[in-house]
Amino acid sequence: MITINGTLKFRLALWLLIAVGGLGIFLLIEAYTSAHRAADRAFDSQLEAAELTIADAIQWQDGQPVVEIPAAAFQILATNQQERVFYAVIDAAGQEVTGNLKGFVQPAWRKEAKQNPVWLTIPQDDVAIRLHGRELDSAGWESQEPVQIWVGHTLSGRQALASQLFERSLTRFLLMVLLASLLMLLAIKSALRPIRRLRHLLRRRDADDIRPLHAQVPAELFDLAETLNSLFARQRESRDALLRLTADASHQLKTPLAGLQSTSELALQSTNPQTWYQALETVHESAARTSRLANQLLSLARLRHASAQTLESLDLGTTLRDCVMEWAERDIAQHHDLGLAPLPSSPVRIKAEPWAIREMIGNLIDNALRHTPRGSEITLGLERGTDEVTLFIEDNGPGVSEAMLDRLHHPFERAGRQDTLGSGLGLAIVDSIARRHEGVLRVQRSTTSGLRVSVRLSLSGLNEK
Amino acid sequence: MIRFRLHTLFLFSGLLLPCIALAQTPLVIEAALDRQVVAPLLEAFTRSHPEIELDYRDRSTLEVDRQAQRAPAPDVVISSAMPWQMARVNDGLAQPLESKQARDWPAWAKWRDEVFGFTFEPIVTVYRLELARHMLPPTTHAALYRLLVTQKKRLHGRITTYSPTRSGVGYTLFQQDARYSPRFWDLVAAMGATDVALESNTQDMLDGLSDGKYWIGYNLLGSYALRWAQTHPELIVQVPKDYALVMMRMAFIHRDAPHPGAAKTFLNFLLGSEGQRIIAGRTPLFSILADVVGPYTAQRLRDQVGERLYPIPIDASLLAFDDAQRRDAFLARWNREIRILEP
Repeated sequence: MITINGTLKFRLALWLLIAVGGLGIFLLIEAYTSAHRAADRAFDSQLEAAELTIADAIQWQDGQPVVEIPAAAFQILATNQQERVFYAVIDAAGQEVTGNLKGFVQPAWRKEAKQNPVWLTIPQDDVAIRLHGRELDSAGWESQEPVQIWVGHTLSGRQALASQLFERSLTRFLLMVLLASLLMLLAIKSALRPIRRLRHLLRRRDADDIRPLHAQVPAELFDLAETLNSLFARQRESRDALLRLTADASHQLKTPLAGLQSTSELALQSTNPQTWYQALETVHESAARTSRLANQLLSLARLRHASAQTLESLDLGTTLRDCVMEWAERDIAQHHDLGLAPLPSSPVRIKAEPWAIREMIGNLIDNALRHTPRGSEITLGLERGTDEVTLFIEDNGPGVSEAMLDRLHHPFERAGRQDTLGSGLGLAIVDSIARRHEGVLRVQRSTTSGLRVSVRLSLSGLNEK
Repeated sequence: MIRFRLHTLFLFSGLLLPCIALAQTPLVIEAALDRQVVAPLLEAFTRSHPEIELDYRDRSTLEVDRQAQRAPAPDVVISSAMPWQMARVNDGLAQPLESKQARDWPAWAKWRDEVFGFTFEPIVTVYRLELARHMLPPTTHAALYRLLVTQKKRLHGRITTYSPTRSGVGYTLFQQDARYSPRFWDLVAAMGATDVALESNTQDMLDGLSDGKYWIGYNLLGSYALRWAQTHPELIVQVPKDYALVMMRMAFIHRDAPHPGAAKTFLNFLLGSEGQRIIAGRTPLFSILADVVGPYTAQRLRDQVGERLYPIPIDASLLAFDDAQRRDAFLARWNREIRILEP
């Protein structure tokens, strides 16, 4: 089931928005403060200029500072924004020689101004004013007392300039965002083009076309294309396997059927009832074998294509013992030494389909019985690991060549021997069941030169040591 | 009997109706502007705004300035003492006027949209006609100075001008004169030598001139002088030909105006086309608006006397004139110079 989980465009746009938003807030705060700084710098220099103009007009007369405030000082202070202006010339005793600040300058500020020029922004009445104070040493005939000059004005010009500067940066920022969004849209479009191309490529393919893809994709899409290709490859393999199985099955069914035909034909040409009886025996035996073959094919097909049943917890030890006991009593096992290695003392619990596990063990035993000479020893057992268990079967028969080991689990593979009674499907069924339970089938030589087939299964969580 | 009753009823209703319909809003105007000069404007305002009851208080510049700083505050303050008006605005005593009339007002005649220069009054020299029989009447500042120096004997006691200490306008005019030329002090010294009579307003000078007490009046308000000269043919009004100062009356709405609505209505009327048309047509105050037509407009004055009109700028530099030390220094120099040529 494919559900639409938003669009890539939306996701990219969202991230862009978050990035632009976060960055934007930072940039705007920065723009705001720097606009105010710039406005303050510009207007503070006006204050400084006015202060210098006043300082220039201070003279000493009769032991008193005398200042004829130049009209220009007021114009500089007022700026072109027509600020209200404030000024005071204060003598060493703290008396206002002239000005309109009327004792507004605090003693603490005067003290500070003795050291360094003072810059203050203070509320006065209901408006804030910017105040600048500086101490001046001026030479006179009778005395050389320091004089302080304080100048100030209202802030409307600063505010107007700051907001003008800020508006400008805001406009620039918004334009940038707009441009970035447009570029991003283009980028998204061009970035998604390979995906569209891939989609077209896949859509154009025929339903049974499972050749690998040949496409130019960006690195990010390589994995997807590769996965698609491997999916195609698996599909191809599975189709090939199916075709092979069908062909093999037909072939396998054809041989006994041909045998049946020829036996029955020969018998029909004879008039001897003895011959008929013998032919009937042959036919019966062959039919039984063919029927078994058909059964096995059926279970293989079922295993490969049926969906998983509900799993239940079962004790592998008990199941194994039961199966071995059952098989030991069968006719086919009478000429072999079928044995059970010591089992773990505690139950070995796995999650599995019970019928499948029994079918698997049965197939393993059947397989061993059929492919070993009479008198061979066949041993089954369990090896328990920490979170897995290995079910094995070993024989001391002739074994198979190294090259054959990996192919034994393919259907109709009989270790190069066509003489045995097996159908060649046993290990294929075991392999299918093992895969169904996420187990691993291993075929290797046993310690006694024979064959060892093992199936590793994972334990269920319920096991107690 | 019945007729009489009907008559009285009619009379009563006629009297009562406007009172009921129009709750009178008082409007207090403190003004240094002669009531009779500005009367046509006030009448027109009352006619178009009958709901506002004008309380127009005609005072000296000094008294107006004092009232502006005192509680209860007036609604509108009008004064010809430009530095003081500017100082009160700088003190934050004015409130801004936000209206079309205020926005359209020329930028050079307003400050902070709070105070507005609404007249354009040239500063003139006035002399008696008989002066011309004895000497060439002065047309420039330099000519007046030469006359004072050369005719010192004959002009003794015949010169009058503003007192810088008793008149805010006079002080401002002399400050502005001194800004333009240092030779102004020569003029002061020369006037001092003729034992100049210092008056505190233009009307007193005009009275003295008409009486024959004075022959020459220096730095009179052109608005009053021109009006006076119309009925007093013995006086000649001369707009100086080198430079003529121009004084502007400044009006602002007080920050604590008890009737701000009425005050705004009045100022909008004053600055609007109707008020300016009356100023240009029926007062000698001269309208500064270029598109107003009438005998008294700044444009017409410029056409008559040329481009030698120098309005006292309405900007922060006016504050310098209000600076205590500068004032003291100026008056000290005045007193020194006016006695310097005394025998």
